Amino acid sequence: MNMRKLLLIAVALRLLVSGLLFHPDIKTIAFQTSFLKKGIVNIYPYLINNKVSLPLKEEFVYFPLSYLTLGSYQTFVSSFLGNDFSNWLSDAGANSVVNNPNIIKYLIFLKFPLLVCDISIAFLLLNFFKNRKKGEQAFTLWLFNPFTIILIYAFSNIDIYAVLLTVIAFLYIKREKLITASVFLGLAISFKLYPLLFVPFIYLEAKNIKDKILTVLIPISIFIASVIPFWSEAFVKSALVSGLSVRIFSPNFEIGFGESMIIGIFLLSILFCFAWMYEKNIKLLNYFIVLLLVLFSFSHFHISWLLWIAPFLVIVVIKKPITLWPVLLWSMLAISIPLFYTDRSMTISLFRIYTTWYDLLPTPFIVIQKLYDPYNFQSIIHSVMAGMSVLLSFNLLKDEQI
Amino acid sequence: MNKFNLFTIFTILFLLFVVPGLLASFIKMIPANDQPGYGSKGSVSIYGQRDFTQYFVSKNKNLVAIGTTIKNPNLKNKKDIIFNLYDDSDNLIRTTTLNGFNIGDGDFVKIVFENVVDSENKKYYFILSSPSAGDEETIGVFLTEPTDEILEFIYDDETHLGGAPIVTYHKPDSRLEVIKVVYSNLFSKLLFLDFQRIK
Repeated sequence: MNMRKLLLIAVALRLLVSGLLFHPDIKTIAFQTSFLKKGIVNIYPYLINNKVSLPLKEEFVYFPLSYLTLGSYQTFVSSFLGNDFSNWLSDAGANSVVNNPNIIKYLIFLKFPLLVCDISIAFLLLNFFKNRKKGEQAFTLWLFNPFTIILIYAFSNIDIYAVLLTVIAFLYIKREKLITASVFLGLAISFKLYPLLFVPFIYLEAKNIKDKILTVLIPISIFIASVIPFWSEAFVKSALVSGLSVRIFSPNFEIGFGESMIIGIFLLSILFCFAWMYEKNIKLLNYFIVLLLVLFSFSHFHISWLLWIAPFLVIVVIKKPITLWPVLLWSMLAISIPLFYTDRSMTISLFRIYTTWYDLLPTPFIVIQKLYDPYNFQSIIHSVMAGMSVLLSFNLLKDEQI
Repeated sequence: MNKFNLFTIFTILFLLFVVPGLLASFIKMIPANDQPGYGSKGSVSIYGQRDFTQYFVSKNKNLVAIGTTIKNPNLKNKKDIIFNLYDDSDNLIRTTTLNGFNIGDGDFVKIVFENVVDSENKKYYFILSSPSAGDEETIGVFLTEPTDEILEFIYDDETHLGGAPIVTYHKPDSRLEVIKVVYSNLFSKLLFLDFQRIK
C-alpha cells in the first residue's frame, strides 16, 4: 500500500477518535482560550478575578504560548462554527455538553491542530533516517500505533506542540546545529516545561564555551520572554507551579532533620554527572529517552506526558528492531497505569458522547477494588514498568547513538 | 499493509464501535431524566421525627431506584436512614435502609430496591427519615421547583410544591434494548453531522 493511502487511512482513524471520544479538558481549554478573541490577553488573572461569574471555574494551567496559539486558532474557526459553538463552550452542564448534536463537529474542529502536529511528526520521522526504508517504517509506526492515537485524540493532548518542537530540535541536534536546536527547544519549553530538562545535556554536547553559553541562554531567554508579559501571582499559581509541574519532583524520602531526598532530581543528577564525567561524545537521544524513562518510573505521571517519549521510542524501535516487544510492553504498562486512577475521565467518561448512562458504570479502579487494593495494583504495574525502564536505560546508555 | 497496521486499525475500530456496546451491556438501570438543578429553594434537614415526604410520577415502567443529592454536614450522621416507598393508595411497597456512614456530604445517592414492574406514569411517594439521629446528626436534601415528575413534598406537616431534585431509574427490558439505544444515539449524532454537510 502506498504512503498516500496509508496517510488517508491514518487521518480517517484520527478523525473518528477525535469526534467520538471526549475528554472534558478539551472543552475547558477551548472555553478558556476563547477569551483571546474577546481581547483578553492575560488570561491568568482574568479567570481568577472573574471566577464567580464564569460558568467554568478552572484556572488556565498551560503557558502563555499555548493560550495564544489555541486562542488564535479558535478566533479563526469560531466564525465557521457560529454562536452555537460559543454557547456550547460556556455550557457547564455535564450532560447537555455531550448531548449537543453538534459535539462531533466541534471536537473534530478543536482537535484539528493536534492532527496537523501529529502528521508533521510523522513526516519528521520519515526524514529522520538516511535509509528511506527505515524512514518509511518510522512514518508507518508513528501513524499506526494505537498508543499515540489514543494519547493525542482521546485525551486531547495539547502537549503535542512541545513534542513537535522537541522533535524538530532533535533533528537539528542530529545535524549538529545546536544553536538552532536550542531555539526550537526554547519554543518547546514555552509550551511545556519538560524539555528544559534536556538543556543540560545539550550544554555538554556543545563544543566550545560560546556554544555552551548559547545552548543554555537561548532556550531560557525564549521561555522568559514568552512568560514575562504574563508574569503575575495568578500566572505563578495557575501555570508555573501547578500540580502537573511540581509532581515530577514530589516523590521523595526523608533523610532526617526535615530534609528529603527527591528521587527525580537525585536520579537525573546521576544521569547528568555520568554523561559529564564518563562520556566523550554524549549520545543525546539516548540520554533524552533515559531521562524520560526516569521521570515516568518515579512519578505519578499524567497520561498525556507519555506522548513526550513516543517519537523517541519509535526511533529506537526502528533503529533497534530487537527492542520492539520490550518497548511495546513498556508502552502497554505505562498507558494502563493512569487508566486505573480514580478519575472517570480516564476511561468510562471518554465514551459519554455515546450515552451519559455510562455514568452508572464503575471505573476500572472500582472494579479492581472489589477484588484487590487498586493502589497496590497500580503500584505493581508501575514497579514492573520502572524495572523495565531501568533495563531499557541500561541498554540505551551502553549502546551507540540511536 | 503489515500486521501491526491492521492490529492498530482493528484496535481503534473495536474501541470506537464494539467497546461502547460491551459497556452498554453492563448497564442495569436507566435514568428517566437528568437531575434538575437545585434552584434557590434551599434545603431541609432530616433527623428524629423530622422526615421528608416526596410525591412524584414515575415516567417509565420498572422503577428500580431513586437518586438525589444528600447533604451530610461534617459527615456527622452515621445512623440509619430509612427510605419507604408508597403507591398512590398509601400501600408501603418498598423499603430500604442506608447508613449515614456511607454518605459523604453532597453525594449523589442512588436508593436501589426491587423493581416496581407496572410503574409507568403512576404516582408514588417516598418518606426519607433518620429516626435515631439527633439534631447534631442531620442529613439534608436540596429543594427544587416542581416538574412533571417532581410534584410536591411534605416537611414539618406542611405541603409545598416541588421537592428534592430526584432522578428515577428504571430496569431495562433487556441488555439488547440498552445496546440498541446507545448505538442509535451515536448514529443520530453522526447523521446530524451528515445532514449539516448536505445542507
